[in-house]
Formats: sequence, structure tokens, C-alpha cells
Amino acid sequence: MKTLGGELIRRMAAGDREAFGRFYDRYAPLVHPLVLRIVRDPTDAADVLQEVFWAAWQAATTYDEDRGTPEAWIIMRARSRAIDRVRANRRRGETFVAPVEDAAGPGEAGGADPATRAADRAVVRAGLERLPDAQREVIELAYYEGLTQTEIAERVKQPLGTVKTRIRLGLERLREVLKQAT
Amino acid sequence: MSHERFDDLAPVYALGALDGDEAVEFERHLAGGCERCQAVLDDAHEAFATLARSGERVAPPPHVREALMERVGAASRQRLPIERRRSWLRWAGATAACVVAASALTAAYVAARYEARLGVMARETARLREGLLAHEHALEQQLAATRAVVDLLRDPATRVVALRGAGPSPQATGRVVWHPSAGGEVFVANLPAPPADRTYELWTIAGGAPKPAGLLALDATGRGTARLEPTGGPVDVFAVTLEPAGGTSAPTGPIVLASAK
Repeated sequence: MKTLGGELIRRMAAGDREAFGRFYDRYAPLVHPLVLRIVRDPTDAADVLQEVFWAAWQAATTYDEDRGTPEAWIIMRARSRAIDRVRANRRRGETFVAPVEDAAGPGEAGGADPATRAADRAVVRAGLERLPDAQREVIELAYYEGLTQTEIAERVKQPLGTVKTRIRLGLERLREVLKQAT
Repeated sequence: MSHERFDDLAPVYALGALDGDEAVEFERHLAGGCERCQAVLDDAHEAFATLARSGERVAPPPHVREALMERVGAASRQRLPIERRRSWLRWAGATAACVVAASALTAAYVAARYEARLGVMARETARLREGLLAHEHALEQQLAATRAVVDLLRDPATRVVALRGAGPSPQATGRVVWHPSAGGEVFVANLPAPPADRTYELWTIAGGAPKPAGLLALDATGRGTARLEPTGGPVDVFAVTLEPAGGTSAPTGPIVLASAK
């Protein structure tokens, strides 16, 4: 399936800067809320966003339209960069980075500017809320907080096998929900 | 090992949450080309893309775009964007820069080679194009002449006059297709090429007075065709003479072809 996004990436691979500008304009508003949701800090988010699109410019030749949509391609790259940033921040010292569960809690002050809250609302409205709580929780912890399965098991106080099962069932359910919605 | 185990690992991997030995194990399995697991990953990524699509759009701050466009512009001007990094990254950075510079040089070399070849091909193409255009032009002229003759021949007032070789070129032959009010065409063959400073000129003679009727050019085989304009009166004789290049207003050279009176 040929899409405008795919065409833009092909032109980027050939070094077309104008195509890159259009690609950015088309996908940055889609990617930005996700990055913001994950890294929380607007300055960090802008930084990660720039890294994501810079890497996309350099990796445009590796994009294969038969394997996935341009959205999936850029979202996957953005999500993994954002998680890398969050994990690096966490490693650098829990002392000056607010623990994720506090920053994400209701009524917090730090890191929750209107854009961040809008991003939260957008994600919640989009379909994850239709998953059973136990499944939604593990997926959100992995996808948005960047926790590994072991960390999730510790956090939700469940065996690793249960976490795996919840993730699998959650993803299956999410696909069903999204299929119905579209 | 049964695949069921990987069915459990693939969704976790898709979320980037697989860790430890299982992550290594799954990546090895995936690298082996497992279509089934790849499909699970692709589907998960599409699902996340759908989540993002159905969410709100939030415009990023404009300085990100500006910085990116500048970065891309700088890269395409072959300037390497080297950022300030911690010292342990410098070596890796320098190595990467060398690789990038080497690829840039290779790319420049390849580009230069191909540009040279493209230049040659462009010139060749232009030459062929010119040749084709000239050929087409010649064909169009021939076609026009042929059509004119066919039109003339449909008219009962048209007559065909034979030309006979004379003087220096007795082997020459020719025909004039002539219509008193429409003019005509002259066709000749077996004429030798004229000397360098000479040309063949056509004449219409009426009442003993020759009128110039244009120059006659020949092709490499000694054939030539020319259009004759109507004279506004009867023509007694058609003739071709050898004249100084550019032609004259009255014949001065030998007659090489003429019709019988």
C-alpha cells in the first residue's frame, strides 16, 4: 500500500530536505504527545523529539513499507528513544528524578503542564481504558513508563508468568478494541 | 523447543519489556526469521500507531523543527554535526565521524563518476535528438512534396513533362509535374554533384525568355526535388543549368536538363 508518508520517507532516503520538513510537519504532532507522556518533562520531550526525527532522517533507507505504516515506524522509534531517556534518567540517580509513580499521580505539580495532561487524556480516551484494569496496568507500565517485565512483576506484586500472560491478553484485547473502533 | 514459549515472549518484546536471558533468546529466535513472531511485533506496532492516531495532536515547540532543518541542511553541506559529548564518547564519535567522512567521500567520488557519465550520455542524447529532428524534418518535406504531387495529379489540367540530360550530363533524367495555375514539382536523378562554387538552377522559358525558378539541391545519390511556383502564364520549356553558387537572374552556364519544346 502506497501512502504519502511512505513516499516522503522514500524521498528522505534520497536526501530530499523538503520531504523531511513535510514528514516532520505531518508526524511530529502525533509523536510529540507520546514522547511527552513518557518523558514528562517538556524540555526533555523536545530534545527526544529532535533525536527521533534526526534518527529517522538517517534511517530512512531502512524503512520497508510492506512491513508497516509510516506511523508505526516513527511511533516505534519515538517510543523506544523516549524509554531510553527515561531509563537513563532513572539510572543517573533516583535522588533528583521524581519516582514515576509520584510524578504520574493525580494532583501533582511537577512535569504536568497542560500539554502533558492533554497527552494523558488523549491516550486514555483512545482505547486502553477499555481493557481490564490488570491488563491495562501492565501495558501502561511497560509502554509509557519503560518498566521491564521483572520490574513490573515487582511493582504489581505478581509472578513473572502472570505479567507475561496479562501483557499478551492485554495486547490481543487492545487490537480487538482498535479494530472495532476503526 | 515448542513455539508456544515464544508466543508468550513476543508480546512482551513488542512492549520493550523483555529482559535478561529471555530477551537474548527471543532476539536470536527472531533473527532466525520467525514470521509468526515478526507478525506479532508488526501488529503490536500498528496497534500503538492506531492509539497515537486516535489521540490528540499536540504541536511541538517550533524550535525543534528549526533545529532539525538546520541540522539536516548542515549534514547535506557535508559538515558533520559534532556535539559536545562526555569524554568517553569522543573516541567513538571520532571513529563514527571517520566512517561518515569516508562514506561522504565515497559518495562524492561515485557521484562525480556518474555525473561525468551522465554528461556524456546527455551530450550523446542531444546529438541523437538533433539527428532525429533533422531526419524528421526531411521526411516531412518529402511527404509534403509527395502530397502536393498527388494533389496535382488528380487535376486533369496537370501535365507531366519529361526532362532529358544534355551537355555535360547526358545520363541525367527528370520529370516536371506542372499545373498552369498551381505550379508544380520537379524531380531529377543521375545528376552529378555540382562543383564547389556552382549550383543547379531551374528555369521556366516562355516565348524564348527564361525566368529563374529556384535552385535545385541534390542528395548524395544525385537525386533532387524542388517546388516550382506558378508563372502566371504558359511555359514552353523547363530547363536546368549549372550556375555560379547562389544562382543568377539569367542563365549563363550550360544546360544540363531540358524538356522538349
